[in-house]
Amino acid sequence: MAVKIINKTVTDFSLRVTRCFFVPTKTIHSNVALFQDNLDTSLTSIEVNRSPLPIISSRKLAFPPKFKVPRQVWVSNMDTVEEEKLGLIDLHPEVFADRPRMDIIHENVRWQQLYRHVSYAHTKMRYEVRGGGRKPRPQKGSGRSRHGSIRSPIWVGGGIVHGPRSPTSYFYMLGFNARLNGLRSTLSAKLAQDDLQVVDSLDIPTDDPKYLETLIEERGWGPSVLFVDDNDIMPLNITAASDGFGHFNLMPVYGLNVYSMLKHSTLVLTLAAVERIEERILFHLNRNDAAQAASKYRLDNF
Amino acid sequence: MTSLIGSMISSLGVALKYRSLIGTANQASKVVALFSPEWTTVRFRYHADKVAKGPVQRRYGYEEKLFRGGLLPRTAYPDKPLPMPVYRPKNSWNEKRALFGQNDYIDILGPSNEISKKTLHPAQLLYNVPSWLRGVKGNEYQILLRKRKFLQQKNFPLSSPTKWATLNVRIKKLYKYLNTKTKSPFWKHA
Amino acid sequence: MAGAGNRVLAGADRALDLLRSLPRLSLGNLKSNPKAFQQSKRGRGRYGGNKHGAGNKGSGQRQNFMRLGYETGNNPFYLRVPKEPYYKGHHLRREYPPISLLQLQTLIDTGRLDTSKPVDLVALCNTKIFLLSPIEKQFGFQLTDEGLDKFKGKVNIEVQHASEQVIAAIERNGGVITTAFYDPPSLLAMRDPIKFFASGIPIPKRQMPPEDAIEYYTDPKNRGYLADPDLIALERFKLAQKYGYELPDLKKDPELAMLLERKDPRQIFFGLSPGWVINMKDKKIFEPDDEKLQEYYKS
Repeated sequence: MAVKIINKTVTDFSLRVTRCFFVPTKTIHSNVALFQDNLDTSLTSIEVNRSPLPIISSRKLAFPPKFKVPRQVWVSNMDTVEEEKLGLIDLHPEVFADRPRMDIIHENVRWQQLYRHVSYAHTKMRYEVRGGGRKPRPQKGSGRSRHGSIRSPIWVGGGIVHGPRSPTSYFYMLGFNARLNGLRSTLSAKLAQDDLQVVDSLDIPTDDPKYLETLIEERGWGPSVLFVDDNDIMPLNITAASDGFGHFNLMPVYGLNVYSMLKHSTLVLTLAAVERIEERILFHLNRNDAAQAASKYRLDNF
Repeated sequence: MTSLIGSMISSLGVALKYRSLIGTANQASKVVALFSPEWTTVRFRYHADKVAKGPVQRRYGYEEKLFRGGLLPRTAYPDKPLPMPVYRPKNSWNEKRALFGQNDYIDILGPSNEISKKTLHPAQLLYNVPSWLRGVKGNEYQILLRKRKFLQQKNFPLSSPTKWATLNVRIKKLYKYLNTKTKSPFWKHA
Repeated sequence: MAGAGNRVLAGADRALDLLRSLPRLSLGNLKSNPKAFQQSKRGRGRYGGNKHGAGNKGSGQRQNFMRLGYETGNNPFYLRVPKEPYYKGHHLRREYPPISLLQLQTLIDTGRLDTSKPVDLVALCNTKIFLLSPIEKQFGFQLTDEGLDKFKGKVNIEVQHASEQVIAAIERNGGVITTAFYDPPSLLAMRDPIKFFASGIPIPKRQMPPEDAIEYYTDPKNRGYLADPDLIALERFKLAQKYGYELPDLKKDPELAMLLERKDPRQIFFGLSPGWVINMKDKKIFEPDDEKLQEYYKS
């Protein structure tokens, strides 16, 4: 189980770390009754002591927008099944309220599917098929058609003309700005359709898959959910709880992409993830060497 | 009377064409016109209409209890299974499909080097393809040349001599074909 | 959300508002613009099944063209007209891509250039607006006179070539201009200093200008970096007389130290000497210890 979790949670590095302390934590959980006094109660008990709401009320936006109005979104919690609104934050309109260009989203998804695709379909040419060196029958006198080889393309079992040759690469690189705009368009569309939720963190009090399932059911977060956090070492409980479900997935910010956002019905971002996504996208939108960053892909660039 | 005849005619399902009547005094000709009409039977029988009407009703009121979709498929060899694939639905949420596309935007969302501001490029992370094919697009000749360039530095010529030989044969043939039988783009509009 | 209030929805807001009443955007209902990915029809066979654009019969279809320039026996045009070698030796000439005074003023106004420090080729390249390609024989930038009257910046600038009126425009505003030569290895280091430092190569020694450029860079009229400073002062005065402006007194200037800052003829980065190795990661500078090296890098 631990190994599976590792693959899911992202990088080799994070996996290795998870493996180190996954087993001991498990045992502590099974012996909760014995060590009740020594345990951090916030993890095991559903009752949460929290300072009076709202906890989060404002957020300072980098590159404050001049003309567009910031979008506001509720921050909810993950430590109870029922949704509690912890506060309201502003989201940068350049990132979360961009024009939802369907064609840009489409070309991003198309690129994601194609650029990694290699076709290994292969056919043999006439000279590659075994045999066929001998003239099948004399040129004249047999009353039948003239042939020089049984591997000619017009023969059954002969060579194939213009057939696929392995490997055929479908690689191409979509432009940097098209991909940047793809992320902005998708995030904006997700937010506009209420499919983007912001939570304070991914800490849940138990590693019970039932808890996660009822939480998602209770809040109406669609059949499939993608949880995104800034850190690539995810909290243990949510990792264990989501492991049995194929459609509840965890991803660090650097793994976020247009395809996954569209494949999952709901996108759940932590506050840290929101900060990070905004910071990265605004950095690329405002960098002074944008022309250099968006330069054409060349094989020898890296 | 005319209306009676008209209704009779229409109930017969034929189109009737009247001669033109000139003047009210010409009663005799009117009567003649009524009783010797110029007939044109219109009889359209389109196959599409027949199909749309459905099968001909036979044995009205009898309910067919047999499957009427035709016989089941079979082959000439009764001991062999049908050449029909067993339906095995794909799990669209297995790990590979659920996380498809991860890290494709790592150059935008990933951390950059503090000094050089460089990030990883998604084309570097295409671990599903061989290293010499990573981030490469080209025709067969270009791809094979690159493959040869990479593999000749490894143990490939010694470990797989036959594959190495066929690779070289193919490159040689493509070289001859492209240089002698095809026109380069430069000549395309000459 | 966007639909609230009496605000008129337009543009992106309207599109986002529309999305709220539409089914969830997913991989299943994604669609591009019509005809965006339309494929051309497949031709059949090796040549696409037709005459592949070559016409019917004759030399056109057989594509047996005459050799280029051949005029069926006439004295061809390319032999009829005498040679006019305008570009003779162009591959040997030095190129100085232009930057106008208007562009320079815009760079200052938009905060891409910091005029509280001397502006040299490194600062101009770091604006990321101009790309210098020393491989293509580009030897630095020249300042051109476009926007001459609008230029109001007070700068200590070092370029590779400048005309008389440009020098006057800079000096009228109380600035200082120098023209300096850099050899290609130095330019390669200067166009992207961080990349150069990361390579671990010691900062090169700036070479002296080639024979045909010495005259330009030793001339005080061009504010050459090899010219006599006293003569430059004289030329500054003469130019002010010629163009009829009053030369601002540099000695009373509060930024005098910055305005007087200059590079050594062998130096390529302000504050860094040739022969040093810069480690950006550990923020350390390594200086040569060996006497032979010190002798070599000495100016």
